[in-house]
Amino acid sequence: MDMRLLLGLVTGIGFGFALQRAGFSRCNIVHRGLWLKDFTMLKVMLTAIVVGLVGAHLIGTFAPDLVHFKVKSLYLWGVIVGGLIFGIGIALGGYCPGTALVGLGSGVGEGVSAVLGGLAGALVFIFAYPVLKPVLIEPADLGKVTIPSVFGSPALPTALIVAALLVGVIVGLGRLEQKGASR
Amino acid sequence: MAMRELIRSRTEIGLWSQLPGWLRWGAMIGLVQIFAMVTVGPLGVSTAYPQFVGFVLDRIFPGFAQDQSYLREIGAQIGWEVMLVFGLFLGAMLAAALSRWRNRSLGLQISVAPVAVKGFTDGKLRRYARAFLGGFLFIFGARLAGGCTTGHILSGLTQMALSGLVFAVAAFGSGMLIAKLFFREPTKE
Repeated sequence: MDMRLLLGLVTGIGFGFALQRAGFSRCNIVHRGLWLKDFTMLKVMLTAIVVGLVGAHLIGTFAPDLVHFKVKSLYLWGVIVGGLIFGIGIALGGYCPGTALVGLGSGVGEGVSAVLGGLAGALVFIFAYPVLKPVLIEPADLGKVTIPSVFGSPALPTALIVAALLVGVIVGLGRLEQKGASR
Repeated sequence: MAMRELIRSRTEIGLWSQLPGWLRWGAMIGLVQIFAMVTVGPLGVSTAYPQFVGFVLDRIFPGFAQDQSYLREIGAQIGWEVMLVFGLFLGAMLAAALSRWRNRSLGLQISVAPVAVKGFTDGKLRRYARAFLGGFLFIFGARLAGGCTTGHILSGLTQMALSGLVFAVAAFGSGMLIAKLFFREPTKE
């Protein structure tokens, strides 16, 4: 098997295992998150971001050849409209594209249904792309902007500051949860 | 049986098991992200859906992938992205099977607290239909925006990308609005 395919498979298995253990197989977790009743979803994501942020930028600073960055373009209309549609989708489905597969793998019926819906959505998007591209994707494209590129700040120190802020948010969410529980 | 006891006792010792679940598995996802970025590139999930659809349809209708401009851009092949998604499914299945085995339950059914829509009795068929519609919209939206929770939020913020931040605000904003407007308050578990 091609090395890239094998790497993809191994990476995916680790990712899926961790997502399942973090509790993302249950679609309820998304709803409790959107209702701000349960910050598990947010805390898992923020923790993952802090670890990835510090790790990737440490490697990127001292051994830049060892790590691949791939920043997505900020084309305003597409990202905003797509984000709004995406939000409606996760609220209705109780899953996102990755966790639907976690639900499917855990044997949850809604997961199967959401993955099938996703494949249908993908097909419709393939056909709609030529129409959407000139309207929502090409105009107002600000390019691959990042916090360091906007502020002209060095990557690693900026990453450490952002990571510290995110840790603050995680601690704050924990406090909020405790308050909610004691009420 | 002895093996089962051994695994159970082993998971209960050490600092690892003292930490809360969100911290342990969140950190693990961060490590998977670093592994992905060192080997190939940042994690992403939603591209795999149209790539897979394109691959299958191109087999059935030869030339399909060539005719669609989107598939010419992202490719309609079983590559790293699709394998990652396939692995994601396998990893989740493995984790679910392991915990079932450790808890000695053989049943395949996992209890899921239904999320209820306001003013409706929420039957199984209705729940499946809603999940289907949700899936349709989250892939359509993710492809329009260029990424999903993984690609835009997880990988985006890991790289301090502003696109990830804008996407996260838009997605959580509309998601919270829909949840509040159309769904009953979710119950604990």
